[in-house]
Formats: sequence, structure tokens, C-alpha cells
Amino acid sequence: MADSIKSPASAHDLDLVALAATGGRAAFGELVRRHSSPVRALLRRMGADPATADDVAQDAFLAAFEQISDFRGEGTFQAWVKRIAARLYVKRWRREARRDALNDAPEAELAATPGEGGQADRIDLDEALKSLSEAERLCVSMCYGAGLSHAEAALALNTPLGTVKSHVKRGLDKLRQRLAPGREFGPAESKVNG
Amino acid sequence: MAEASFEMALDRMFAETPAFADAELFALRCEERMDRGWTTRRLLIGSLGAVGGLIGGGQLLGSGLWGRINVLSQESGHALNRGLESVLPQGFAPGGLAISAEAIWMSAALAVVAVGLALTRLVREI
Repeated sequence: MADSIKSPASAHDLDLVALAATGGRAAFGELVRRHSSPVRALLRRMGADPATADDVAQDAFLAAFEQISDFRGEGTFQAWVKRIAARLYVKRWRREARRDALNDAPEAELAATPGEGGQADRIDLDEALKSLSEAERLCVSMCYGAGLSHAEAALALNTPLGTVKSHVKRGLDKLRQRLAPGREFGPAESKVNG
Repeated sequence: MAEASFEMALDRMFAETPAFADAELFALRCEERMDRGWTTRRLLIGSLGAVGGLIGGGQLLGSGLWGRINVLSQESGHALNRGLESVLPQGFAPGGLAISAEAIWMSAALAVVAVGLALTRLVREI
């Protein structure tokens, strides 16, 4: 299957993964080309500055290359790398002794007053995330951007599950207020279960 | 958006990311780092191999094996000389160099190393 691939650019992700697992660095390079932007964007949404986001994204791709044989193809390659990147960023975040923000999160003020209907089209997610506290932003991005469950996020953050859940709930409430004011949606904790 | 749940909309928003203008540069940097990692690893393995080889060589020399090999190599050297004398014209010495037993063993060892390097290169090319 993977042996017959002539051009990495036209190959399927799983074929490239199979090639990379045999040491094919060109194949892995193509995977990086395809998926680096979403991974970098996720890290920025988690609160990393651009330089740190790029640094962690590179670390994540290198870690993915090292452990590529662990990727079973159960989800997408991009989702897998995003989870690795999110965990690496949290590790760095915790090293920088900023984890107190999780337990003592100040209530972030909304940067702008929610407008009338239709504003959701104009305020994008990146702007809306800025209205969240550091901890809320981190927890929401880990659970909705990286696809981690509340329990996995709590484990990565080394924080009680209840704390993560409450950060996610508060974060979702603020995002709902910013992105879709006046609209009715389902309960916040319905998707990602602990 | 009105019909969809907010969380589904949020999932979609998180999934929508613009392509970064420097994505190619980022990929190149990643590849550079991968190459650096491989070079470091190769150097590390090579150094450890060299150290291991020196220790092993020291152990072999200390075990008296060298004496036995010397006897063997002298016998094989004499045999080779006798063979060459029977084939080459009388008084012929290539380049004026005398062929000693040590030189033969060293040449054989270098040949093994050269074949090993060639095989490694061949495997990498395949």
C-alpha cells in the first residue's frame, strides 16, 4: 500500500503515516505541511503567544514522529497531533508556574458589550476567546479544540475534575454570550463528559 | 446556527482554521529539527560504538588472544608469501613494500569496514 506511493502530496494521511512509521521523513514532512496550521492555531487559542505556539507545535510534531507507531488510525492524524500538542503546552504552562490561575481565576471582563443578533458573523472565535480568563480559555480549548474529555484535561492540568468542569461551563457561557447573544442552545456540559 | 447546538457550532469554529502563510517555512524548520535529531543520534551511537570498541579491544589484548592471533597470522603470512613466490617472478616486490602479517590483517579489517559502509549506504538508498 504505502510502498506504491510516488508523490507524498497526493497520498492519503494514513498512507503517509505508514511511510513515516518506516522512517520516511519526506512523508512526515508532508503531514506537517498539511496539519501544522490547525495545530498552531489551537495552541494560540489555548493562550500561547505565537512564538511559544510554534515552538510547542514543532515539539508536538517531533514527538508524533517519534511515536508514530502508536497511532492506530482510530481518529484523524490531525486530532492525534492536536492532543499531543495540547498536553505539551499544558506541561510547559505548568512549568512556568502559572497553574495558580486555575484555582484563583479572576473573572475576565468582557472586552466588548454583546451586540444585537447577527454579530456572531462578525466576532470570530479568536476574539471571543480573549474575553475568557486564562484558565477558562485553556480548559475550553483543550476540551473543544483538542478533543480531550474533562477527565483527560484534568489529568493533564493536574487539577480536580470539578475545577475543570466549572472552568469549561463558565467559559462556554461567556462564549455563548459573545458569539450568539440572545440565542438558545443546549446545556453546556452535554458534549464532553468526564 | 440557530438550529444547531452551541457546542456543535463551537466544534465547527475550532475546526475552522486559516492556513498560515508561513506553513511551508514551519514544515522546513520541523524537518531541520528532525535531521538535527538524527545527526545527534548517529553521532551518539558512533561515539558509544567507538568507546565500546576500544574497551572490547583492550579486553581482547589483555586476554592473550593477540599472541594466538599473531602466531596464526605469521603462519598465514608465510603461506601467502610462499604462494606469491610461486606465482610472481623471482625478486619481484610490489612498490618495494614487504608484506607483513599485520598489514594483511589490517587490510582485511579495512575491507570489512568498507563493505559495511557500502552495505549501510545501499540499505539507506533502497
